[in-house]
Amino acid sequence: MSGGLDLEQRYRRVLRLLPGYYRDTWEEDMVAAFLDSWMTGDPDEDSVTMEFDRPSRQEVVSVIGLAARLYLGGAGAPRRYFAWGQAVRGAALAVLLVHAAAGLDGLVSVFLNGSHRIVPAPPATIVTASPGGVWPPAVWYVVGYVWIVVYVALVLGHYRAGRVVAVLAIVPALAWLLQGQLTGSLQSPYGSWAFWLLIDLAPILALAAFHRDAPPAARRPWLLALPAYYLLVSVPVLAAELTGHRDWVPDTPGLCCILVAVLCLAHVPRAWSGRAGTGVWSLTLVLLAAVAGAYRIISLGDYLRDPHLIYYLQGPHLIAVGLAELLILAVAVALVAPDAARAQAALPASPPRPQLG
Amino acid sequence: MTGQAFFVLTALADGPRHGYGIVREVAELSQGRVQLKIGSLYGVLDRLAAGGLIEPDREEARDGRLRRYFRLTRDGRRALAEEAELRAATARVVRARLGLTGAEAAG
Repeated sequence: MSGGLDLEQRYRRVLRLLPGYYRDTWEEDMVAAFLDSWMTGDPDEDSVTMEFDRPSRQEVVSVIGLAARLYLGGAGAPRRYFAWGQAVRGAALAVLLVHAAAGLDGLVSVFLNGSHRIVPAPPATIVTASPGGVWPPAVWYVVGYVWIVVYVALVLGHYRAGRVVAVLAIVPALAWLLQGQLTGSLQSPYGSWAFWLLIDLAPILALAAFHRDAPPAARRPWLLALPAYYLLVSVPVLAAELTGHRDWVPDTPGLCCILVAVLCLAHVPRAWSGRAGTGVWSLTLVLLAAVAGAYRIISLGDYLRDPHLIYYLQGPHLIAVGLAELLILAVAVALVAPDAARAQAALPASPPRPQLG
Repeated sequence: MTGQAFFVLTALADGPRHGYGIVREVAELSQGRVQLKIGSLYGVLDRLAAGGLIEPDREEARDGRLRRYFRLTRDGRRALAEEAELRAATARVVRARLGLTGAEAAG
């Protein structure tokens, strides 16, 4: 009957995805219910089942979904997992804010051009950036507007709608990337794929943190953040480009690094103040720094691969500039990372309420 | 209240049940439309227990494994009754708008 333990062991292995406090309370129950669902009462058949069968894919997916909700905790979760949940929710909103600001940029350009069309004629930069693209340039404007909808929906608490629309928003970019990859027309494959994976896909996956137990986002600050970002970041970048100072503007990964570094530096006084409650934002910044740093490192591959691209985009010193951006980011995040780690160590990983049984 | 939570509370309305007993009962109540996976079931049970709508009833050993039975709390019974009333009222409105009689709706 040694094989009789196999199905049980396989299921227990899947359950290791769940946090320890949850397994302590529910694991034996879950195993009993799981095995009950397989057993027929026929000893021979059950013996074969125990030896050879495995948890179904749907069963594993249900456990993964449960694990995501528990680790990215909401109301009632242990404080450590609640902090992780809040940090991931904050980081996801911050990345979506960048997308929404790009959409706002397109929308404002429509009004500035005096056009009454929601989708204006494509600017030359988009046309040259997507040669032979699978989508007409107008699609990128629409995608930008869709990101605004996603961002506002999440801030207002419409999580399900936000998730569905967000998935639709990343499809055109994926199709464009795949087509470019297959035809060899991608000018900067490393940076383009890194953008899609880290800036498009990762926040969509992080939307798993916006579950039923997740507390609502602070509406006013996050809604104000959109026009504030536009005025403080998008407008100066646009002004630099229009006044012939394009070389002063970092490329997209560089801009991400600098923005996260500035946020880290702005948070340092609070992180070092010793006050309680600063750790979640420190953790959020560490997550954002990881995303921005990875994006910067991967995208440097394009400049190493194609020296012509360096000249075309920014000038010959971009690799040195990119490394400097990484250094600034690393120093800035090092100033807040200890606060994030300290807060995590201080927060309990067990729920405050008494457990069943 | 989600559909899954509604079905789980309904499964416990006529007495305590253990995990797999709830899965079977929910499948029967929903005429096979709701097939709860174990991970989903315990996600629902955890939420309902945290909300004070269900509580442990007893444990029974079978085949060397303990099975924990759950029962509705008073709050759970009240929440289920309110949800059932809400759903019934909605169903009455739908029937009226579709012009269905009781027999047509059943058929």
